[in-house]
Amino acid sequence: MRIIASPAVVLIVMAAGAAAGGLGALLGIGGGVFLVPFLNLVVGLPFLSAAGISLMTVLATSSAVSARSSGRQLINLRLGMVLGVATVTGAFAGSLTVGMLADRQLQRLFAIVTAGIALLMLTRLDRRNVILDPTVDPGALGGRYHEQESGGEVTYRIRRLPLGLGVSFVAGVLSILLGIGGGILKVPALNALCGVPMRAAAATSAFMIGVTALAGALKYYVRGDIRPELAAAAVLGVLAGSRAGFWIGDRARAKGLKALMALVLGGVALIYFFK
Amino acid sequence: MKQSHELLGRLLTAGIALSATCLGVGLILAYIDRARGLPNGPHPLLDAGLIILMVTPFVRVLVSLSEEIRDHNWFFASMTLIVIAVLCVTLWTAMRAA
Repeated sequence: MRIIASPAVVLIVMAAGAAAGGLGALLGIGGGVFLVPFLNLVVGLPFLSAAGISLMTVLATSSAVSARSSGRQLINLRLGMVLGVATVTGAFAGSLTVGMLADRQLQRLFAIVTAGIALLMLTRLDRRNVILDPTVDPGALGGRYHEQESGGEVTYRIRRLPLGLGVSFVAGVLSILLGIGGGILKVPALNALCGVPMRAAAATSAFMIGVTALAGALKYYVRGDIRPELAAAAVLGVLAGSRAGFWIGDRARAKGLKALMALVLGGVALIYFFK
Repeated sequence: MKQSHELLGRLLTAGIALSATCLGVGLILAYIDRARGLPNGPHPLLDAGLIILMVTPFVRVLVSLSEEIRDHNWFFASMTLIVIAVLCVTLWTAMRAA
């Protein structure tokens, strides 16, 4: 029978999960983008093991975020399902290649992806996608929700759907390979390219991520890459951390969130490039 | 529509709570065994917790499907059905490869 990790390692993983979950909830992403490098570089797990554990925590955050935003009309279920087809197909494609790439290649890919997203976020800091006139027709896939910041009803339309589908497919592939939810790709893409406001993009993405991460988690779990005691520690940490993140998130401004996200991603990319 | 949102919210909350309980208790039991010097390995409750974690979003998609069928939204019902089908194929190929 396999020996389980020492209690110290479990506590470190739990703390890392809490930090990743807090940041993740704050930014509307799963937090995997922070957890994978930590488990891989600091705890010293193989990349595949780190990715598998991270996907488990992404599942937990996705369900927690979705449960929380259920009553608030922030989740655009229809858009989520249409893009979900693309992302889950990408996830399936990605699952076929798990185990074929070396750790170093995966780390390089991770660095490129995070650097690219950080740049995209920085160039879009001042954009707002909302139409404040409540009589505007949002179209078949658009949406409407109550915005707490301005206290008004907000409407948005979907632009460039094919581009959104393409990004969702790529996000699905990368999600499985890198162990991230893919929200880190979908949130900026839905926001910057398809015209979905940041908060609705984050909530809709969290919903889709549950499905994407499920495909990946299944793959790694069946392969035996996931160490249950470390996954449990990470999941419990993430759940606790994401509660703190929600609390702060309700009090933070969208522009500040984007800048923070870009900063953290830039840091992650630098570490993997120059390791 | 609002009602279904609330149902989904409760379902997800219950799934998370059950999973977290299994993982927490499993973790404690695994380390009690370890401290006592018993032959230790991952506790079965840990696996149960991880499986519940994976089943929760799947059940959620099934609920969405039933909602779309009930409301006769055939386009969105078929989108949901495709998502379910791809997930099943992913699981099937993963199990075959393992």
